[in-house]
Amino acid sequence: MEIEKYSAGNIPRRRFFEMSIRGGLLIASAPALLTQLTSCGGSAKDSGEFGMDKAVLDRVIARALANGGDFADVYLENRVSRQIIMEESQFRGGLYGISRGAGVRVISGNKTGYAYTDEITEKKLLHAAGVASFIARGGAGTTPVNVSAASRESWVTVEVPLHEVSDDRRIEMMKRADQAAKDYDPRIRMALIEYNDEVRSRIIANSEGLFLEDELPLLFFVVQVMGDDGTSRHMARERVSFHSGFEMFENVSPETVARNASREAIAMLDAGDAPAGIMDVVMQNGWGGVLVHEAVGHPLEADNIAKETGAFTGKMGQKVANECFTMIDDGTLPNFRGTINFDDEGTPAQRNVLIENGVLKGFMTDILSAKQLSMKRTGNGRRESFRYIPIPRMTNTFIAEGRDDPGDILASTKKGIYVQSLSGGSVNPVTGVFNFTCREAYLIENGKKTKPIRGATLIGSCMDVISNIDAVGNDLDFGPGICGKGQSAEVTAGQPTVRIRGINVGGSRA
Amino acid sequence: MNNIDLSEKLLKKCMKAGADAAEVFIQTSRNLSIGILRSEVETIEEASSRGVGFRVFTDGKMGFSHCNDFNSKALEDTIDRAVSFARLSSPDDSNVLTGDRGVTQVADLYDPELGAVSMDTKIGMVLELEKAAMRDPGVTKSSGAGYGENESEIFIANSNGILKSFKSSLCSLRVSVVAEKGDQKNTGGEYSTRVFFHDLPDVEKIAAGASGKAVKLLDPVMIKTQKAAVIIDPDVARSLLGGIITAVNGERVLQGASFLRDHMNRQFASSLLSITDDGTMPRSPGSSPFDGEGVPTARNIIAERGILRNFIYDTRAAGRAGVTSTGNAIRRGYSSLPDIGTHRIYLDPGDHSRDEIIASTAKGLLVLELTGYGIDPVSGNFSGGASGLWIEKGEIVHPVRGVTIAGRGFDILNALDMMGNDLDMDKSFASPTFRIAEMQIGGK
Repeated sequence: MEIEKYSAGNIPRRRFFEMSIRGGLLIASAPALLTQLTSCGGSAKDSGEFGMDKAVLDRVIARALANGGDFADVYLENRVSRQIIMEESQFRGGLYGISRGAGVRVISGNKTGYAYTDEITEKKLLHAAGVASFIARGGAGTTPVNVSAASRESWVTVEVPLHEVSDDRRIEMMKRADQAAKDYDPRIRMALIEYNDEVRSRIIANSEGLFLEDELPLLFFVVQVMGDDGTSRHMARERVSFHSGFEMFENVSPETVARNASREAIAMLDAGDAPAGIMDVVMQNGWGGVLVHEAVGHPLEADNIAKETGAFTGKMGQKVANECFTMIDDGTLPNFRGTINFDDEGTPAQRNVLIENGVLKGFMTDILSAKQLSMKRTGNGRRESFRYIPIPRMTNTFIAEGRDDPGDILASTKKGIYVQSLSGGSVNPVTGVFNFTCREAYLIENGKKTKPIRGATLIGSCMDVISNIDAVGNDLDFGPGICGKGQSAEVTAGQPTVRIRGINVGGSRA
Repeated sequence: MNNIDLSEKLLKKCMKAGADAAEVFIQTSRNLSIGILRSEVETIEEASSRGVGFRVFTDGKMGFSHCNDFNSKALEDTIDRAVSFARLSSPDDSNVLTGDRGVTQVADLYDPELGAVSMDTKIGMVLELEKAAMRDPGVTKSSGAGYGENESEIFIANSNGILKSFKSSLCSLRVSVVAEKGDQKNTGGEYSTRVFFHDLPDVEKIAAGASGKAVKLLDPVMIKTQKAAVIIDPDVARSLLGGIITAVNGERVLQGASFLRDHMNRQFASSLLSITDDGTMPRSPGSSPFDGEGVPTARNIIAERGILRNFIYDTRAAGRAGVTSTGNAIRRGYSSLPDIGTHRIYLDPGDHSRDEIIASTAKGLLVLELTGYGIDPVSGNFSGGASGLWIEKGEIVHPVRGVTIAGRGFDILNALDMMGNDLDMDKSFASPTFRIAEMQIGGK
């Protein structure tokens, strides 16, 4: 059975463009949750006229810089989230959450002071500013510029806002996925379905005079199914996620998501032991891009470069990869899971070419690392919530499309492993040593995909892998994921079909 | 209003909003973290927070909501959301609140002096730690050192008449350094976590752990793909055996999604393997008088001399399985539902010193770093990336980096043929050094 394609890559470009323009207007004219945020309840009693009066933010920033420091910012956040879990065809329960708070940051030289509060009142914000300013004791000072509203382009469109969607419709999507999984094959014993959505509203104000507000909706739909034929078991997974309204399910039906997971679960029941040792690997287009996200993306985040420990330290402008290899981080891909309009420091999202035809061209920076390295701000300063300091993070990261036909890449690989999907993995950003676990993989014998093999680990170092990619397909595709780096961020990883010569495969037979 | 009165008041509000049964979980916390890089303060983060989670039931159906805004309108809205969300759920007779009024007496879970230790003392300690870790001549750079502390107080009230609370604290030190030699780079990190500030180990000990790991693996030699013995360092025991913990999760067992589902009271591993989860150890991170839904904690033997003895349960999974909760409902905070997890895992030590294990190994790999997801809890397969030291004729001959080790879980667990006596209780998954007689190693 063919894999049904549903990724955003298949929505025509022009439609994206139209959606973006429309969405930009929508977002600008109706920040419903921010209206709630600025007028919301009890805090107003403490501080009289609370609101998000810009003069309050000016006073907080002035307090943050009262002890010295080069830069200060205030980040206010209101997040409304829903999660519904269905296991074994039963709704285990619904979860609804409201999380709001604000963080104040002071940067003084290489130092960062940070404090947050979950009560948004002027009194609490001033207190947080005082705590954050502790770090700047005795340092040189700067005079803040009063904040005024700025605008940013929006890459996120909403046709059906999440707050207008009834919970019954959410549940209907889950039931449809569950039914589709059960109908697929009697060996599908169980489905675990998780529906998540949230609307995150942000206000960012800083000592450079910036004031920005917006809200980002996010949908995340995960279907896991277990195949079990009595002797062997495999838990398969398929995920779909966009910064979008509920129309996501019109572009990607719940049945498609469930059938993709079911196909994998059944296919892998026949898996045999993987061979061990160094061999060629062909990686199918899509979420497999997480390999370069980990192996190359993290080492290109500028915080480790600023510490002079990162694997790519001192290599800017040098040839680091095979010429067919170009890698991009693009926070402007319409509605993608990693798209953020502007980062959590207010820098516009942009398309950052990291490696072009094998030459190192750029790092991903936040405000602090950009300053430390005298580089541009690239729009990669992200944070999990108001409880965290922003740090350099990826958005939508992918290997750019090449010229090779994916069929030819496979046919010209005599022996090796065909990796259809990966579970996930990690990298040591200093050494560049990475590891991945295959979710669905097959042997390649004489240029053909043959027997399925069980979850083998792939290991290697980032420098080796990018020099050893020798074929890049013309079939770029993406997949959604969660990236962890002390704090989590929603990202997309992508790639066309690629071949990597000589990766160490952790099989259990010789 | 204090949090005890507030819990009771909110519980009444839940019932008034239409719940048949309800639970209020309030958590207050205070955090501090200090980061040092190259003898300078890099970050100081400080905050206090408070939040509440509501678990409500209507006609046996469960809804959950949480918020960190304590104005009464926000609280009432949040409760209403939980009640309306409950109506969407499927009824589940097993999903009930505990009525157990007991608490396990566990001494010393809170250090009242933690917050009183001055900021300068804490900063000074981290500066010392980084300096000490840089002392080894092979270490060339610091990746940073840090201190973190957390104080938390938990209140659980439910409509079965339970109201329990306890206070806890944690503090930790960490450091990570880089050793470089020519084009080679290797990192080493170490951490330590305690309940009491004055129990934190000497910074020299933590520093030596980090720098030792960084320099030990320089100048590696690649080995051939082969079968050989594998010795597991306490540091990486979780990376191999962690999947067992997921596989004994009572709920996963009921769903059939566990490679150990049919092995209760059967020999599934070598008789050298005994695993315990203990929520009752005094002065220990992970201990508590009751679990995330108010059930008293216990000491649970999971494996006894290779025989599977217990699955772990919360109230709901226990009800479904027809047993009682093992006190393993874990909550990651007020915004999470209770879920099945562990408190403090340890393996029973064996008879051999680490040196004896190495000396008795004709050919094998002492694994110091292990990446990957461990033994897969569903399929029972294992594959990981490993680095360590190569042993021939009982002696360490050279470092090895970038190889793989793999096998089937049952084969690996049954091939465990030597257990060390060097149990390291400093790790959250506490293990001695142990040996697997033979595994597939992937190299050149």
